[in-house]
Amino acid sequence: MTEGSRDKTEAPFEGGGLVLFPVVRQAIEAERVLREAGYRARLVSPPVQLRKGCDLAVEVNLAEKPGIERCLEQTGIDYLGLEPLKTGTSPLLEVVTVTDFGGWLMVRAGNMKLTFDKESGQIVNTSGGGCPDIPYLHAELVGRPLAKAPRPRETGFTLCALMLERALEEGLIIWKGGERRDTDCRHGSD
Amino acid sequence: MILIAGTVPIKGLPLVVGRVQVEAEALVIGGYRIPAAQGTAAMTSAACVTGDYLRLASPQVVLAGDIGDGGGSREVYEYLIKNVASLGPTVLALHYCLPDMTLMRRLCRAVKDCRRRPLLIADAGAMYAAKAAGLAPEFSVFTPDASELAFLADREATHPAYVSRHLFCAEAARTPALIVYAYRQHSAPRVLLVKGATDYIALDGDIVATVTEPDVPELEAIGGTGDTITGLLTAFADAGLELAGAALVAAKANRTAGRFAQATPATRVSQIISQFPAVFVEHLGRWSQSCALRSAL
Repeated sequence: MTEGSRDKTEAPFEGGGLVLFPVVRQAIEAERVLREAGYRARLVSPPVQLRKGCDLAVEVNLAEKPGIERCLEQTGIDYLGLEPLKTGTSPLLEVVTVTDFGGWLMVRAGNMKLTFDKESGQIVNTSGGGCPDIPYLHAELVGRPLAKAPRPRETGFTLCALMLERALEEGLIIWKGGERRDTDCRHGSD
Repeated sequence: MILIAGTVPIKGLPLVVGRVQVEAEALVIGGYRIPAAQGTAAMTSAACVTGDYLRLASPQVVLAGDIGDGGGSREVYEYLIKNVASLGPTVLALHYCLPDMTLMRRLCRAVKDCRRRPLLIADAGAMYAAKAAGLAPEFSVFTPDASELAFLADREATHPAYVSRHLFCAEAARTPALIVYAYRQHSAPRVLLVKGATDYIALDGDIVATVTEPDVPELEAIGGTGDTITGLLTAFADAGLELAGAALVAAKANRTAGRFAQATPATRVSQIISQFPAVFVEHLGRWSQSCALRSAL
C-alpha cells in the first residue's frame, strides 16, 4: 500500500528522519525510488533550521538510515544527507568502549556489543540492539573470524546495524594490533 | 493469555499466529521450527519454559520473518492493530521490530479497544518506537539496558544511536539519576527494569529494588540474555506477580541461570534458558514468597 492510498483517518507518517537534496527533481525521484523499494517516505518541506539545498525533502524512518542511504546510492540519487528531524538531536554516537574478559574482548559501540576470542579472532557473540536485522546479523557473525565476517554496513538496514559495524571495525583494529581510536567516554563531549 | 509479538531472522517467513511450544532449543509453531537464538525467539523461549514450570497456558505469538527491511515488522504491527481487541490478551509483550512511530501509535490506539486493558510490556525495537512516539506512559514495563536507559533519558533521541554523549557515558552510579530523567520527561512506563551490573527496578519513578547477586558479568556479552529477562518477566506477570515483583524475580532468575550455566562470553543463550527449571526448583518458592510479602506491605 502506498502512503497515498492510506485511510485518511490513520495517523500521519512520523519517520523522524529527513533526506535533504540539492534539487527538487532528486527529492521527487527519491520518494518514488524509496517507496518502490518498500520504504515509507513522503515529500515534505524541511524546517528552516535544517534546510540546505532545495526546499523539498523526503521524510523517512530514521531507524532505517543505512538501508535508505544504500538504496539512494545504488540508484544514483544525489542527496545531501539524512538527518534527524528533531533539531535538538545529538550527533550519531561515536563512542566505543572495550571490556576485557580475559580470553575475550567485548567491544561496545552505542547500544551494540561484539565479543571475540583474543587468541583466534573468532566472533563468539553479539548482543544488544532492538532492530530486526540484529538477530539476523548475530546468526551471520557468530562463529566467523573478525576478518572474514560479513559487514553489517553491507547486509544490515538499521541504525543498530550501523552501531554493530562500528563495533566490528574497532574489533578488527584491536585484533590487528592497531592503536585504539580515542572514542571512549574519557574523551570529548557533546 | 500471554501474547508475544515480534520478528524472527528468517527471510521469507510469513506471518505466523498461534500457540507456541519449545522443543530441543527451538520454537515450534505452525509447522515451523525457529531456533531460540537472540531476539524474540529467545524471549519467547524463556516465557515458554517459565510458563511450563508455572503451569500456565503456552503463549500465543504473532511472528514474522524480517532481516531488517521492515516488511515482517509491518505485518506484525498491522495484524495486531486489526486483531488485538478480539484476541484480548492479559499480557501483551512487544519485542524485536522496526521502530515505527506511526504504527506504534496506531497499535496503542487499538489496544484501547480491548475490553480489558492488557499489561503492555516492551523491549527492543518496540520500546524504541514507544519512547520515540511519546507513548511510554501507556506501557506497563520497559526492560532497557544501560545504553537504552540513556536513550529514554534523552528527550530528543528517537533511536539509541543518537543519544547524547554525556548521558551515554554516565557512570553506573548515575543510573538512578537517569531513571529520574526518564520518568520526568514521560519516557518511562509504570515499571522500569534496567539491566546492568546492578539491575534496577523502578515503580512510578521510585527505585524499589536492586539486584547485584549473583554477579555474572559475562551475561552482558551473550546475545539474548536481555531478551530472556523480558520473557521471564512476561511469564511471571501472567502468573499474577505484581509487576515490580515479577521484574525482581526475573532479574534474579536470569543471573542465577547464568551462574548455573557457568557462563562465559562464548555461551549461547539457549544454554542459559535450559537452566531455568533448575533455578526455579531451587529458588522460586523463596523469591516469589518475598515478592508476595513485599506487595502486601
